[in-house]
Amino acid sequence: MYRGREGQWAFVLHRLSGVALALFLLLHVVDISLVMLGPDGPFDVFLVFYHNWPFRVGLLMVIAGVVYHGLNGLRIIIMDFTSWGVRYQKQLWYGVLGLTVAIGIPVLWKIVPEIVAAI
Amino acid sequence: MATASAQGRAAKATRPRTFREARAMASSNAELGWWVFMRISGLLLVPLAFGHLWANNMAFNAGEIDFAYVAGRLSQPTVKIYDTFLLLFAMLHGVNGLRYSIEDYVKRPGRRFAWKMVLFTVAGIIFVAGVMTLWAFSFEEMGDAVRALGTQ
Repeated sequence: MYRGREGQWAFVLHRLSGVALALFLLLHVVDISLVMLGPDGPFDVFLVFYHNWPFRVGLLMVIAGVVYHGLNGLRIIIMDFTSWGVRYQKQLWYGVLGLTVAIGIPVLWKIVPEIVAAI
Repeated sequence: MATASAQGRAAKATRPRTFREARAMASSNAELGWWVFMRISGLLLVPLAFGHLWANNMAFNAGEIDFAYVAGRLSQPTVKIYDTFLLLFAMLHGVNGLRYSIEDYVKRPGRRFAWKMVLFTVAGIIFVAGVMTLWAFSFEEMGDAVRALGTQ
């Protein structure tokens, strides 16, 4: 671990969320592709799995990963293409974390009761 | 690997004189292209992915997604076009990001090559399946049939 300052944590979270999202993307395209096999095909088996509460909690983490990775990606673009981005990278990262939480609260508010109601 | 990148840097200063130097140079140009692509596709993916999550998780209860819902969405031309861009950019962006990770963490050349070939093969097959799902099937009749069953 290199010094463990903000930039390092920003990178670690970006890498972890990126790998997780890429692997989820592959799984997600596979499961949607099963729709090609018709209404009585293996898509329903996948849905039973997807609608289980542990997987729905996992999907909340996918949403959190998309929001963090997307906002931190904008921070990287700002650092690469503006003259001031690197100077304020630390403040920008706290902005990314703050916005991720700000977006996350209404998302949790909407989806957690749906998950609880379906258990 | 250190010598290879040193050769790559040396090759930039002059014309490449060996195949190895030329390859090191071409590789750095390709990497520059991917570096630019990650930023452009990333910028496009922010609204594309956020909009996708909004439609399926906020505007709808994802726990109630079923065959009729997916078939109904995939029979809409706007969804087909939207999802094609999302699939294309997310696949290229994600697979290139996984390639960066493999190159960072898998040090042995043989294993690195093997991991990348597995990744590109699997991702290529899945990408083709995704394009087929969006464009090779009409879900209208199937979706209507299932919705009719649901309302009986």
